[in-house]
Amino acid sequence: MKDLGAPALMGISKVGKKSRPIKPDPHFGPPLKCTKRLKEIMTRHYMLSRYAEGAKPVAWVTSGAPVEVLRPFGIYTVYPENHGALCGAKKMGPELCAVAEEHGYHQDLCSYARIDLGHYFSGKTPAGKLPKPDLLFASNNICQTVAYWYKALSHYLKIPLILFDTPYNFREITDSDISYMVRQFEEMIPVLEQVSGRQFNYRKLQEYVRIGKDASLTWGEVLATMKSRPAPMTIFDAFGHMVPIVSLRGLPLALEYYRTLLSELRERVSHGVGAIKRERKRLMWDNIAIWYKMRDHSSLFAGQGMNFVTATYTNAWAETTPYMDENRPFESMARAYSLVILNNNLNSRLELMERLIKEYQVDGLVIHSARSCKPYSVGQYDLKRLLMERLEVPSVIIEADITDSRAYSEEQTRTRLEAFFEAMEG
Amino acid sequence: MDYFAGIDVGSLSTDVVILNGGGEVCGYSIIETGANSTEASEDALENALAQAGIGRGDLVKIVATGYGRVSVPLADRKFTEISCHALGAYYLFPYTGTVIDIGGQDSKVIRVGEGGKVVDFTMNDKCAAGTGRFLEVMAAKLRVPLDEMGDLSLHAKGEVQISSVCTVFAESEVVSLVARNHPREEILRGLHRAIVSRVWSMVKSIGVNGEVTMTGGVAKNSGVVVLMEERLGKTIHIHSEPQIIGALGAALLARRAFG
Amino acid sequence: MTRKEYIIKQKKMGRHIFGVFPAQYPREILWAMNVAPVEIWDPPLEITGANAHLQPYICSVVKLGLELILQGKCDDLDGFLFPHTCDSIQNLASIVNDYLGMEKPCYFFYHPKAPFRDSSRIFYMEHLKGLAALLKQQLGPLDFSKLNQCVEQGRQVTSLLRELYNMRASGEISASNVQFYRVIRQGEFLLPDDFIPLLEEFLTASKGRSVAGPAVILSGVLPNPPEILTLLDELGVRVADDDFLSCSRRLLVPFSQARDPFEAMAETYFAMPPCTTKGSSIDERLNYLFGKIEGSGARGVIFDMVKFCEPELFDVPQLVKELKERGLATLVIDSELNQGLSGQLNTRVEAFVEMIS
Repeated sequence: MKDLGAPALMGISKVGKKSRPIKPDPHFGPPLKCTKRLKEIMTRHYMLSRYAEGAKPVAWVTSGAPVEVLRPFGIYTVYPENHGALCGAKKMGPELCAVAEEHGYHQDLCSYARIDLGHYFSGKTPAGKLPKPDLLFASNNICQTVAYWYKALSHYLKIPLILFDTPYNFREITDSDISYMVRQFEEMIPVLEQVSGRQFNYRKLQEYVRIGKDASLTWGEVLATMKSRPAPMTIFDAFGHMVPIVSLRGLPLALEYYRTLLSELRERVSHGVGAIKRERKRLMWDNIAIWYKMRDHSSLFAGQGMNFVTATYTNAWAETTPYMDENRPFESMARAYSLVILNNNLNSRLELMERLIKEYQVDGLVIHSARSCKPYSVGQYDLKRLLMERLEVPSVIIEADITDSRAYSEEQTRTRLEAFFEAMEG
Repeated sequence: MDYFAGIDVGSLSTDVVILNGGGEVCGYSIIETGANSTEASEDALENALAQAGIGRGDLVKIVATGYGRVSVPLADRKFTEISCHALGAYYLFPYTGTVIDIGGQDSKVIRVGEGGKVVDFTMNDKCAAGTGRFLEVMAAKLRVPLDEMGDLSLHAKGEVQISSVCTVFAESEVVSLVARNHPREEILRGLHRAIVSRVWSMVKSIGVNGEVTMTGGVAKNSGVVVLMEERLGKTIHIHSEPQIIGALGAALLARRAFG
Repeated sequence: MTRKEYIIKQKKMGRHIFGVFPAQYPREILWAMNVAPVEIWDPPLEITGANAHLQPYICSVVKLGLELILQGKCDDLDGFLFPHTCDSIQNLASIVNDYLGMEKPCYFFYHPKAPFRDSSRIFYMEHLKGLAALLKQQLGPLDFSKLNQCVEQGRQVTSLLRELYNMRASGEISASNVQFYRVIRQGEFLLPDDFIPLLEEFLTASKGRSVAGPAVILSGVLPNPPEILTLLDELGVRVADDDFLSCSRRLLVPFSQARDPFEAMAETYFAMPPCTTKGSSIDERLNYLFGKIEGSGARGVIFDMVKFCEPELFDVPQLVKELKERGLATLVIDSELNQGLSGQLNTRVEAFVEMIS
């Protein structure tokens, strides 16, 4: 459930630049019209960020943090994980990671963190410029890594860090867990008031929770269109179109965007327009994308007539949304944010994957074992085995990394994928 | 006259340096270590003694260093090659503040302080990337003699990027680059860039201080040296026999221990 | 008596045996419920089966723990306790509980992460009681006065350990580094009834002058490989203090005056030395290290890392930088468990000692 959105952002830097037209891949259906709108929104958002520094308080936020609570304070939010994905897609991962390594960060550490620290030390970024933060806001509902990483930032930048601590759900969530998280919300209000110079407005928070929920629900409906055969988009599209739900969550813009996207997708479904021309097999993706290989993989699978129709990853921003309730904003956010896939036990993950496989009529599963992301990856070998036992779904594991391409072996991956394609046909 | 010997038993070669009481080198030898490091140290010592024109009885103190330092029974003391390389480099180039030593099995970056003392150091981890071994593997894969690969890489018109850190992954990358008919020189250039990047992380973590001296067998590889100098933005001191710096440092320590 | 013999003996005495994963947990509750916690840090096994469940980039503490289970060496245990120490242990807990199809009770203990606030304290107290309530279903009710006794015993253990650590810091201990950790680490499976006399005996027997060589501090998860201690002994180096997760970070806790045992345990948790697994800030960790350096005259710190240990590796760059700025020597090494001391590691440690000598 980490952040992304790189492909869309890759587009941004191309705006205004005359690039050679890329020859359209004959395996794909017509491109989504909404992509243009997404680019506009994200360009605007990133343009604004250049003026935010000094004008508005800026927070660097982890992808799983309950950002709604920052919104009433007018805090401008930046997502380093999103930036990491962008650097990955731009193939700048190794370069920025190496900078962090020069400062003593071991190459075994999460590459989003290394990219971010590398950016901190060197100022290098493909995104123009990231506004310097006044506040760090992290939640360990996606990993403990973000806590270590943001702690380092807090030490270097000498700015406050708010950690939203979400007890891991080894079993069912308890009342005590919920009250702990609700109390943390109450404790962070005075800090946020101080950083922003604004008084907390409860009614505004309710409003943001409501909009955030509506946007997430709409995002869920967007994903659900891929239940159709052929699916109107691929998960590689979704990896890009999820940027607003991650980094503009709670803002009306995100909701408006997903409504537009949803109607386009429904239109495609009603006309039987698929993302790829010949959808022979339907696949599920597990874990964060391999950002530097997105384009290659997208063509490779399309060429095989295989389409990714669902992913545990994109689903993470829709899965727990129904818990959100503007009438009990803190309590409901505690539940929604604590029960996300990576903070929930592996049994519930297995059940979730079984459900997705059935609902989306999945024929095969590609599991990205991401060196950077232990909470997402530890347990995948057993998941693979259990899903085969229970549903006889063939699957393949790719050992790779989200952005550090130095940990990726083209040859090894190719061999594994080819074997998988053969198994799918057999 | 008193004489002092330094013996450096490395994974590939065993080197001996003999100093006289005035601190001048009066004999040295470099031989392959082979399977028996005790024997190698004996043989290398004999060669160096012969070159210096003295007998074993003229030696006052012997210091052993290198991986095989424990298997040199004739040594009076042993020191790590880190202390020895620092002192050896300092002796040859007194303004040395940083030593980059890329050996067959490992590489080190050493920060040298007053009198050639080690102030800080770092070493590569278990992995072979960033060591001479990496180049050896690739030289074999590309069928290029090890001692020619540096010069060849300098003749490259372009450069291919080697993205993998791991030696095994990089090897398979090289195989597919060869299959796609990339010029050998360009692949070599990329490989040299890869090893320099690895060592560069270590250099940065220790920090560049004063003048830089390179030791170890890989210092003979012009391709690595040129790229490293590019990164550093300054020239690097290299002795004509960079492998013997460890043995030289050991001999200096032997002399110091006696004095 | 070996660990295995001890476990068998405890079992015969009617005690429940729990396998406990690293690192920090309310041992007093277990003691009071007639459980002998046996900690699983670095079982001496070769990893074979665990590779089918865990990726190559997972640390060997986690792998060996799972290996121990897979090899059937935990079959006689009555349950497992997994404290929430890091992402890998968290997911391992869930693999064992959800995926391995084992019929053994698994418990999970979540400790709140720093910075600590009122909410953390309330949650921790509730969580302690919650754990006791869960255990009750398997082990019967918790006797309050028994718990009080156990808290008292915990204080005795801590007090003896403190005395030992203080003696060592001031150079008044004749025991070698190897002997010291051999005794301290017995606490990973001995119950206080047996650990207290052992510590008392060791304390009396090892009063004396420490070796005269340079002093260092060790930091990391646990003293690994054990050969590093032997090497330091051979080089005449005194380990003057440590910042190990398995040792000082969870053992040297200040005393609580609280009369309620749960309150006493909670107070203890929040007053523990800083640790990355609890989310302590870099400044707190630095102050702790500087305190140890001042108290012992150590000239440097060896960061003895277990490979792939994210919580430890994230703090190291900043700790190293600040220590160096204050003129202290540092060495960072990382290795897997049970792999011995390679020639390369040996060289690094020796060179470090030459540097500070």
